[in-house]
Amino acid sequence: MLDRKVIRRRRAALAVCVALSIAILTAYFGESGGGFFHAFQRGAQEAFAPIETGASRALKPIRDLFGWAGDTVDAKDQNEELRKEVARLRSQLARSQTAERDVAQLKGLVGLQKEEGFPQGTEPVTARVIARSPTVWYSKIKIDKGSSDGVKLDQPVIASSGDIEDEAGGLAGKVTSVTGGNAEVTLITDASVGVGAQVMPAGASGVVRPEVGDPRDLLLDFVEGGRRVTENTTVVTSGFKTSRGESLFPRGIPIGRVTQADLDEVEIYQRVHIRPFADLKQIDIVQVLTKKPAGAQTAGVMSP
Amino acid sequence: MRPGVGSFVRVGLLLLVAVILQLSWLSQLGILGGHIDLVVLAVAAVAYYAGSVPGTATGFAAGFLLDLLSGATMGASSLVLTAVGYGVGRFRELRDPSHGLLPIAVGGLATAAWVTAFAAVSFMLDVGASVSVLVVRDMAVTILLGAAVAFPVFAVVRRLLRPVLVVDPFEVRRKRQAPREAGPLGLRGLEV
Repeated sequence: MLDRKVIRRRRAALAVCVALSIAILTAYFGESGGGFFHAFQRGAQEAFAPIETGASRALKPIRDLFGWAGDTVDAKDQNEELRKEVARLRSQLARSQTAERDVAQLKGLVGLQKEEGFPQGTEPVTARVIARSPTVWYSKIKIDKGSSDGVKLDQPVIASSGDIEDEAGGLAGKVTSVTGGNAEVTLITDASVGVGAQVMPAGASGVVRPEVGDPRDLLLDFVEGGRRVTENTTVVTSGFKTSRGESLFPRGIPIGRVTQADLDEVEIYQRVHIRPFADLKQIDIVQVLTKKPAGAQTAGVMSP
Repeated sequence: MRPGVGSFVRVGLLLLVAVILQLSWLSQLGILGGHIDLVVLAVAAVAYYAGSVPGTATGFAAGFLLDLLSGATMGASSLVLTAVGYGVGRFRELRDPSHGLLPIAVGGLATAAWVTAFAAVSFMLDVGASVSVLVVRDMAVTILLGAAVAFPVFAVVRRLLRPVLVVDPFEVRRKRQAPREAGPLGLRGLEV
């Protein structure tokens, strides 16, 4: 008698919890961004943000200690590779300086400096990362700046490369949720994100998509087979408006460097692998570009 | 586990601390591509010491809290962690485990179930992009890390839950051990 009661109670607990989970899952998917569960989630995140901020700051020394140990191991592996790259960059620098001198002389004649690399007048807001999604399936971070600091939905977010000597960074993601004091950023490694991009200086355009699970590898899809993409070229946000999505990012934000281009003659499009400039695995500080440069083109960002 | 305010407060505090540590610290602490998953270990530990019903409820609550604060799809984690809590709880009820090192195996298996089932649920829900094989490596590292830290996590959870537990597996084991015979000088082999 007692056994049956225990079995019934056990089964009831399992059934109730599973049914509740499925009901929440269904409701969450079915509702819009302003629905009950989304609003509840935003409210809870805002309420817990101070605790998360405190915990993140308090535990930073331990995090740094682990990071230092990991960096030491990585540094040994990278040493040889970097030596070769230094040699290559030296010769590239010599060529670049010569080219720079030529360009400087030609500038006055043809006015080439109308289009700068990085968009100007974007008023970046620096923010600290206070939490990060615990699985590889959702690449989201939470930052300690929100609407009260001028952060709004869909604004682009950039991050540094994480390398002290190479301070350059690149596109990290976009703001997908904002509350008063903090915001949620969906990284470009999230499965739901695609960024309109262009390979420089060749000009071939495509859509940058993540390869889930490997934050150091992105894919540039839908690059026409006829447009030859070479390794070590730079990929930036294209600034094109596409028919598939609304425009979000200004033109010229660096995304990454081409590491591999598959030239499959059977396929219409090339698949190009990119190593992002931003270190998307170890982000501590990011910048939200809170203003769109006046008159700038924007790039398409769409869900797959 | 005896139902009551004390039990709720203890488990609630445990889950809150586990989720906040997970999001603010452990998720940002990449170790060979993987990371320590404290939340699933906490759920497994509660289920291991308290049984399937508290394990199921704890799994659901932990998943709900995790989804709520991480911004992930709500309901996904609670569905998987409910199953993990129930599974570990049933294992404890059916096998009556009492070996001191069993938390390591239970922690590793619970983490394996969590990462595998969560990957399956994510695939079914909304992952449209291609998936790198590195995911498998990261999952394997996460499972190994789960097993590696399971012992201290289970010890802390046991200490926290001990006042509200009906049966403690370690106490059961201690009672099972037969008293050792000894002679008048207190030495074995010199029995009179």
